[in-house]
Amino acid sequence: MDATLLNTLRDPAGVPFYPVVFQALYVLTWALHAAFVLLAIGSITLSLAGHGKQKQSADWKLLTGHMIQTGKISISLAILLGIAPLLFTQVIYDPNWYVTNALSGIWVFTFIYALIVGYMLFYWFYYANKKGDGKLIGLVSFAFIVFAGVLMHVFSVESIQPNEWMGWYAPGGTVDTSGLSFHMHPVRLLFMVSLSAPVVGIFLQNYSDFLSTRNDFTKEYIAFARSLGTTIASIGLLASAALFVVWMFMEGLLLNPLSLAIVVSVLLLLVMIHFVKRSYLTTLWLVVVALLISGMRELIRFQIMGDLGYSVYDYPMNIDWPSVVMFLLTFVFLGFTGVAFIATLAWRAGKSEGVFDASKDALVSRLANSTFAILIVWCLVYFGWGMFTVFKNSFA
Amino acid sequence: MDFIGMFPLFYFPDIGSAWLMGITGTIHILASHTSVGAALLFAFLAHKAYKENRTDLYDYMKKYGMFLLIFSYVIGSITGPGIWYTATAASPRGISALIHNFVWVWATEWVFFIYEVIGVFALVYFIDKIDRKTHLKLTYTFALASVGTLMLIIGIISFMMWPGNDAFYQTGSASDAFFGVNTFPHMFLRIGFMIMMAGVIGLIISSAMKNKEVSYELTRKMGYVSLLGGFLVLFFFMWYIKTLPESADILLGIYLPSILTTRIILILAFALYFLLAIFKPQYIRRSLAIVMLFVIAVVGLWPGEKLRESLRKPYVAGRYIYSNQIISRDVPGKGIKSEVEVIADRGLLRVNPWIPDRLRTITPENRLEAGQLLTKLACSNCHALEPGAKFRPLMLRFAGQDKETIKAFMQGSLATGAIPYMPRIDLPDAEFDAMAAWIATQIN
Repeated sequence: MDATLLNTLRDPAGVPFYPVVFQALYVLTWALHAAFVLLAIGSITLSLAGHGKQKQSADWKLLTGHMIQTGKISISLAILLGIAPLLFTQVIYDPNWYVTNALSGIWVFTFIYALIVGYMLFYWFYYANKKGDGKLIGLVSFAFIVFAGVLMHVFSVESIQPNEWMGWYAPGGTVDTSGLSFHMHPVRLLFMVSLSAPVVGIFLQNYSDFLSTRNDFTKEYIAFARSLGTTIASIGLLASAALFVVWMFMEGLLLNPLSLAIVVSVLLLLVMIHFVKRSYLTTLWLVVVALLISGMRELIRFQIMGDLGYSVYDYPMNIDWPSVVMFLLTFVFLGFTGVAFIATLAWRAGKSEGVFDASKDALVSRLANSTFAILIVWCLVYFGWGMFTVFKNSFA
Repeated sequence: MDFIGMFPLFYFPDIGSAWLMGITGTIHILASHTSVGAALLFAFLAHKAYKENRTDLYDYMKKYGMFLLIFSYVIGSITGPGIWYTATAASPRGISALIHNFVWVWATEWVFFIYEVIGVFALVYFIDKIDRKTHLKLTYTFALASVGTLMLIIGIISFMMWPGNDAFYQTGSASDAFFGVNTFPHMFLRIGFMIMMAGVIGLIISSAMKNKEVSYELTRKMGYVSLLGGFLVLFFFMWYIKTLPESADILLGIYLPSILTTRIILILAFALYFLLAIFKPQYIRRSLAIVMLFVIAVVGLWPGEKLRESLRKPYVAGRYIYSNQIISRDVPGKGIKSEVEVIADRGLLRVNPWIPDRLRTITPENRLEAGQLLTKLACSNCHALEPGAKFRPLMLRFAGQDKETIKAFMQGSLATGAIPYMPRIDLPDAEFDAMAAWIATQIN
């Protein structure tokens, strides 16, 4: 595999904006996606552990229900946030993406249904747990979700091995179109999965801080959740750090400045979970660590492709300003206002006991009205733009 | 050696990889259309409940919302990217063309989708936790955001059929590609279907309600909603088919007579079902409502999507990428060049990067193996290759023919592009010979 062929595999339409922007968006959105994948794995694991303990402990009973709820929403957000990196990687690394998916076609198809089955079963577990049942369903759901995660890992690992692609597609010179390629990197996978422990641990600290202002949760329960979070995060971080060192050693990147920055930032995180009282600050630092790890993934891929002579920065460009402007305006106006509206509503409703009267909350009302107005204007612009384009082109 | 940018081939025996995409696509359409329709229905119910102070409707909305959260959003949000996944395996260059033309449109849809997904959780879980006025505002914005996702995706999937004029090819602009001649009729057709599906799902919930008075009232309403949606589907379908390319007309002429009877029966059956809901709501049981949902999915949606996919042939995107990954025309606005002539001149085995060296030159020893590979590369995105296969079985088309007749067909029709719904595949004599030889071994 060399750059000539890789460049031939690039889409002939070119990219509609500067490749570096897609690369940055990829790193950013992958970190967000990974955060919710890890929170989903961590909270599901904890809910399964709690399911067994909830008969003996009221704390575990309450926590288990909340962890199932956390798992449910996290999977949804992980899928939602996974769409963006999925999109951006296809723009600048399309040779890698499409070759991998064709080589592992059957697993690509399987991934979708494994995730659907796993997620549906998790809803079943949610309902069964209310009656104290469903352990087996919970375990089967977890197995499907983990399997889907393993498949996603396989696609990532295969996509950064261009020199192996032809050997996988035509072993011994005979073409194999079955799409059964399946290649793993266990250390990398274990490292990624191990991060679910610090993520859920820090989430538990956030959870206890959030509930600490409410009178309907006891101090003992809040202390229990925080202490559990600190323990899980501490053990998880140590395991993650060790696995990261092994992975970087295998990649020959142990002394790379980014690698060292990750090790230092993970150790700092370890200190923070023990000594910082406002756990939201710890979460902010966790976001920084996630971005660094996402950056490391990209660095590995960038170097592999660079060694073959492929650079995303050379990708031919056909800048499409109208669609760029549409995205930016929608992202800034609808994205920020809309998400702020629901997030503020959720935060304040969560902090309230009983029904939260948001109509008396000036900020929430303003955000709600603004979101509505932005959506109306957006639709008007869409139809105006569309009609103008159709008429212009039909009668040109 | 110069290659063209084709990717490795993934082929699923008997079904064909493209049909795997069709399966995921159909499930996604069922789930996603229901979710957008439900968002509109939700807004309607919330408005009514708030204005008339109908507290009983909130209970219905909560049940309906929970059902949708599990059914529509779990399945819909996974199969949405799932279509991308399966399409990348089955039609990599087709999906790549869409991504590279519309990445910012998809990114914009993603912003809407974020609002929609966190909105649906808020909508369902906050029904009793926030005041009703704010909940109503949430419902309105949620409905608009849901319709927004349709407005954004519709231009992309309409472009898969064709832009309808020459503007995109000259300018390469995403806007000219997105707003084509069938974008708006396609949108309204789907809005009609979404409204109908919201009613169909609504009937499942309303028929199961314990309070009979409310149950019958809501069943009647769902009957009206579904009937309105069904009418919109039929009305806009008439407009939509008038905006299709010429090759689609030919295919429609082939397919329509065979499916027309089923369509008429289906329309009558569903019209009766909706009228029953309006005039005799007590006859609508949950079991019947569930059966009707599956009938519409299996007998209505699946053949409908198959037809739409067929009408697009021989292209998968923008009428410049054939379903077998080959670029069929120049697109000056993007600097894209046709590959058909290059292949005709040098042969598929030489220009496809994924051919093992020992198969690049056809010899008597490898002729059948090369013929099989060429047939897979050229034909398998539309045809299943196994004798007796279910979906568009290739061998059935050549039943009873000998090698020379098969080869003559290829050189007379395929190579000249004489069949408008099949890609022009012009290959050197040796490659056609190898393909015909292999096909002959499979049918005789």
